Amino acid sequence: MTQLATNKTIKHVKKKRGVFQRLIKQWDIQLMVIPALLLIFVFSYVPMYGLLIAFQDYNIFTGFLDSPWVGFKHFSMFFHSPEFWTVINNTIIISLLKFCIGFPAPIILALMLNEVKNLFFKRIIQTVSYLPHFLSWVIVAGFAMSILSTDNGSLNILLQKLHLITEPIGFLGKAEYFWSIIVTSTVWKEIGFGSIVYLAAIAGVDPSLYEAAEMDGAGRIKKIFLITIPSILPVISIFMILAIGNLLSAGFEDILLLGTNPVLTQVSSVIDTYVYRVGINNQRFSYAAAVGLFKAVISVGLLTFANMFARRSGNSLW
Amino acid sequence: MNTMIASKELPDVIWGDRGADVERLRAAGMLVPLDDYLDKYPNLKKWAGDSTLNMLRSSDGKLYQIPNWYTSQPAGNAGYLLNKKIYEELGKPKLETTDDFYNYLKSVKAKYPNIIPFDPDLAKDGQGLDVLYGAFGENHPQSYLSERAVPNGDKLTSIFLDPVFRESTQFASKLFREKLMAQDAFTQTTDQLKEKANNGRFAVAAGSSPTEYGSKGDAELKKKDPTAGYEMIWPIHKEGLDKNKIYAGVYNQLGWNVSVITKSAKDPEKIFAFMDWLTGPEGSRAIMWGPEGVLWKGLDEEGYPKFTSTYSDDHERTSKMMDPMVNLQFDGNTAYIDKAKMKFESQLPAEKQNWETRYQSSITWKTVYNATEFVNLRPAPESEEGIIAQNVETIYLEARAKAVYAKSDEEVLSILDKADQDAKAVGYDKLLEYKTKKWQENLVKIGSK
Repeated sequence: MTQLATNKTIKHVKKKRGVFQRLIKQWDIQLMVIPALLLIFVFSYVPMYGLLIAFQDYNIFTGFLDSPWVGFKHFSMFFHSPEFWTVINNTIIISLLKFCIGFPAPIILALMLNEVKNLFFKRIIQTVSYLPHFLSWVIVAGFAMSILSTDNGSLNILLQKLHLITEPIGFLGKAEYFWSIIVTSTVWKEIGFGSIVYLAAIAGVDPSLYEAAEMDGAGRIKKIFLITIPSILPVISIFMILAIGNLLSAGFEDILLLGTNPVLTQVSSVIDTYVYRVGINNQRFSYAAAVGLFKAVISVGLLTFANMFARRSGNSLW
Repeated sequence: MNTMIASKELPDVIWGDRGADVERLRAAGMLVPLDDYLDKYPNLKKWAGDSTLNMLRSSDGKLYQIPNWYTSQPAGNAGYLLNKKIYEELGKPKLETTDDFYNYLKSVKAKYPNIIPFDPDLAKDGQGLDVLYGAFGENHPQSYLSERAVPNGDKLTSIFLDPVFRESTQFASKLFREKLMAQDAFTQTTDQLKEKANNGRFAVAAGSSPTEYGSKGDAELKKKDPTAGYEMIWPIHKEGLDKNKIYAGVYNQLGWNVSVITKSAKDPEKIFAFMDWLTGPEGSRAIMWGPEGVLWKGLDEEGYPKFTSTYSDDHERTSKMMDPMVNLQFDGNTAYIDKAKMKFESQLPAEKQNWETRYQSSITWKTVYNATEFVNLRPAPESEEGIIAQNVETIYLEARAKAVYAKSDEEVLSILDKADQDAKAVGYDKLLEYKTKKWQENLVKIGSK
């Protein structure tokens, strides 16, 4: 038993030294990584000390050092606040919806674009579909609101002209429509940009595979399922892990801008909008930090979990 | 701003809102008290007056804030905007009571299917709904709504149980249900509202400042048809109430925002001396209408400027001179400037009068309530009452919107009852107690008690 253990440690040390030696060998290349590491350290890790205000009654006048420590007070306040369950429920539901619809959508678009043989047409579709990514949410929400409005809204006019409805529907004033509006507008905005990565992955698939498949008599659909999808699976699974890590980010600007109607509070309040409304707007910085930290911890947990599963298929992040 | 406070590098003067921020700066000892200077310089003490200055005093009894657009006389723009052409085409029916109003909206809907009968402005902020609230109770200012508290004897009580609020919400819900109110009321944006105003797409609108899109819309409509346009009407009232005790909006003597002088200032007295000059007649004239000789020349016997023909006829030159100064009016003197404008307008023939000023003097300034006693009732956000207030706020906004969307009058009441219970569960009573105490203190400061 002991024999085995020592063997293991020896192996471990050996391996470590190996990595170190390798690093020394390529020192000139490794040097180039340092600025990037520094950047991450200075702008992502150093400001993290600010998270400590989640455990304080932070007062901007006395500053960080002199504010009293209060332990988990703000966390328990959040857990006991009347809105807690509404906020958590909405966050999970909205983000799951976005994940289930918004994640496969760009993959499907990329697969479809790949089958388009007319290059000119393909380029146009690609450009048009990724343009919305560059519009800010303020503008997209403005579009959505004028399309969906009851008074002179294009969608209501269309439905009325088609005699599908007699009276205009107040889409933005009904709780049952809100989630679909949010998910649809997010997919519309991000689908094109999201598909770029998958298109690049598809372009990297070895053409000889397709030729071989053709020889074996595979049709288009079969080629998609037997060659294209398996070839880009590593990319898909990496993006899936990242998406799972973001599950608690149900969205912020879209919900804030489209969910302005107070009738929607029960379906539109998510963690990020709650932090903004209760924490930042009222300058309750400690409370906002506590809620934010809570979200971050759960997200890291989810990411690790997703990675663990992915490792079994050999396509993990780390 | 928060970064500046955290780094303790404050500017000499901060121009901002009254309330929590000022109180925090004061409590941290970063502001200069102004009491010593107040008697040395003449203007602020004279024009703002003791009751206004007392209200601005902090809990230590000292004055730290210089008010902007403080006033000793009523001012405000809240009220109802009437589409003149539609009103005339429908035979100018009587529009005084809430029943008249309801019937009028019905006839608009019947005759003009594409016109919105009643547009309540951005209803999620209250606006037209708040104006309607005033119609159902004598001496019921909109402050009760914004404070979410209604006086009952010498105590503030739940807004959800206020009979006036319940009745006005039922009325609003009825209008919404029967499609007499804009169905986008809670989601529309200012741009959408302006578009409707400029194209005459509503028959009546109401809000806390409908004059803004009203005067612009009036000009737009008149371009196409000189007989069209907007008028303002006297606030409607429930049958049996006295129309002279109905209020469409509120004002307070303290005005809009304040300036404070911080301890970073090298010579605070000089800053005060400048602010004092700026709020006096000479400073007000200079900052509002520029130096003597262009827009005004000489003073009348009461000390108000005599305006030149450039001011009355050359609008382009006038706005070119006046517009850049708007954001430099740190401590505007409403009483002096409005009086000067009014004097000038009253000498003009009716068709040359400024649309806004005409209705301000004939209606909106007569239907605003002096709500100075209800200022500063809000607790600090991180205090226990402050956290209650935020929860009550969420409950109120949601309940009000839901009540307007309700399918029947009974449902309106049950939504409000439920909101009252929810609010009590998060500590509404404690908040009301706090507000009552603050309100009573205000009454003492104003001197009405």
